[in-house]
Amino acid sequence: MKAARDLRELFSYRELVVVLARREIRARYKYSILGAGWAVALPVALMLLFSVVFARVANFDTGGIPYPVFAYIGLLPWQLHAGMLTGGARSLIDNRALVTKVYFSREVLPLSRALAALFDFAVAAIVLAGLMAWYGLTPGSGVWLVPLVLLVQIAFGVGLAMLVAGANLLYRDVQYVLQVAITIWMFASSVVYPLPREGWLRWLSYVNPITPILDAYRALLLGGRFNAGEFAAAAGISLLTLVAGWLWFRRVEKRFGELA
Amino acid sequence: MTDPGVVFKDVWKRLPRRTEVSTLAELLYALPKRALQRRDEDGLLPHEFWALRNLSFELQPGESLGIIGPNGAGKSSILKLIFRIFRADRGAVRAKGRVTGLIELGAGFHPMLSGRENVFINGSILGMRQKEIRRKYDSIVEFAELGEFMDMPVKNFSSGMHARLAFAIAAHADPDVLLVDEVLAVGDASFQNRCYEWIENRRRKGCSIVIVTHQLHVVQSATRCLYLSEGRQVMLDEPAPVIDRYLRDQAELLERADAQPAASPGITQVQLLDRHERPVHEVEAGAPVTLRVHWKFPEPVIGPVVTLDLFHDDPRFLISTPGGNLAQLSSGDSLATEVAQGSGAFDVRVDGMHLPVGMYCVRAAVKAHGALTAAMRRDDALRFEVRRPAGSESHALIELAQSWSVVSPTESIEKR
Repeated sequence: MKAARDLRELFSYRELVVVLARREIRARYKYSILGAGWAVALPVALMLLFSVVFARVANFDTGGIPYPVFAYIGLLPWQLHAGMLTGGARSLIDNRALVTKVYFSREVLPLSRALAALFDFAVAAIVLAGLMAWYGLTPGSGVWLVPLVLLVQIAFGVGLAMLVAGANLLYRDVQYVLQVAITIWMFASSVVYPLPREGWLRWLSYVNPITPILDAYRALLLGGRFNAGEFAAAAGISLLTLVAGWLWFRRVEKRFGELA
Repeated sequence: MTDPGVVFKDVWKRLPRRTEVSTLAELLYALPKRALQRRDEDGLLPHEFWALRNLSFELQPGESLGIIGPNGAGKSSILKLIFRIFRADRGAVRAKGRVTGLIELGAGFHPMLSGRENVFINGSILGMRQKEIRRKYDSIVEFAELGEFMDMPVKNFSSGMHARLAFAIAAHADPDVLLVDEVLAVGDASFQNRCYEWIENRRRKGCSIVIVTHQLHVVQSATRCLYLSEGRQVMLDEPAPVIDRYLRDQAELLERADAQPAASPGITQVQLLDRHERPVHEVEAGAPVTLRVHWKFPEPVIGPVVTLDLFHDDPRFLISTPGGNLAQLSSGDSLATEVAQGSGAFDVRVDGMHLPVGMYCVRAAVKAHGALTAAMRRDDALRFEVRRPAGSESHALIELAQSWSVVSPTESIEKR
């Protein structure tokens, strides 16, 4: 099987994924004052901003969760999602020098970007622990399922990143379209406010897997109601996205050397 | 016979002349056009061309293949196909084992990171395990001669240091197939020599090597040579006859391109002879040579004046003189009492060929003493290469003959 052989080859490059992710993280933080603190700065700033704005403008029903905690649990995985997408989309273009000169499994590039985004995610997660302690919140009994949710989220993000990375190599304006799409997408998901569960906007909760994923994080971390059915559907879509993304990536990958 | 290291079987490779579509907006316009496009009888869309046509060869372990040909002949495409950066459109390409390319040295270097960090990154890109790199690290640093610089960001490296580090890493990847593309033109001569020594060493250990270069002396030391033109194989044989054919074709091409044809067929050939009077196409800067001008004159030339103009093929040298020639050898009055009749040859001996390194072409002309215009002329009578002498570390243009001594050292220091 060709796919099996390609997967084996990709597995043989597993170290390169880590090495390239580390290269990116080091290069990003080596010559900055805050260093890895920057990974925290953006989600915290956004959390503060939305806390101030939404506390005045609207009073969302967060189910008893303090708004800053609600927003931060949304923003944290969202940053990871956006990071995997934008990073992954640019991964082939940014490494054009490599793609046109050296052979290795090309999947390594979006994967290493995802890993670098995951590093930022882990650093920023420390703040969440502090925030929950500050509000005296203890994790719910389902907290051990959080890694599973994370895994589903990564599958979805990497799948999409592979879809976009190939397209971005063909058409260079894909990344700009993507920027706009990500911003709209954020406000169409339950990142900084809960989505309406009834009324004409109800469908927003079902079309994209991000909302069930975020809701799952909140339910498991804070002990709310975990909607297993919705999450299972999101996991299914995520896996399909991963497979479809990889198949598309393999299709266009043969021409990367000529296009880049 | 063992398993071949590299196999090309009836390989065709199609490439676009330019990227046809690069934005989504352009795609919208291009879609209807694309639906109507048909491949022509050659299998090409209007914006495509065949970079390689029906190419077949096999390279055994321990063989090295030099590839020569004019620009755009498809030389680099061969390397990219072996390296799987390109995929063949027809036919099959196979390479055995670990393929490492010295295609662009240090392609994965990150300028902000230290030499040390980059060793681990670049090594990993070339397919080495981190454990393997840790084991070989000291040896890599030693080969690159960069001991105390390894903690410096790579952006502060000189181009020579950059190349040395990159080559040292690639050298330690233990490839079964090694691809070399022009890259060794950087770095000083002693380093270049060490690189070629290392490449030769690998070959003896059973590595298959493919080299693309314009430096003919490099190709000369390969075991086989492929001459490509417009994606087709012109000749595949031992280096000497292939290089000869290539140089002949090049000269012919120039002759045809020249608006002013050779004035007369009187000068039949110009040869470059080394100190053993063997005809050669390359010479080390500063070495003694003889240029031999063969002629066959329809009528006698009384008191011939022979002039050889030497042109460097780097256009930067063209502006230096009104005629564009970098050097001139002229017999002046020295043959004034001679009469050239029938056929024969003039020899001019040059004690030291102290010319800038590079490719040269020679224009030969003969006129009668006192005549204003040349009776015979041959524009591209000879092509040859002046090479930096082995062991030279200089980057200067000209290597002078030199000898050094010390004259009363204590006194000169006191004067200061």
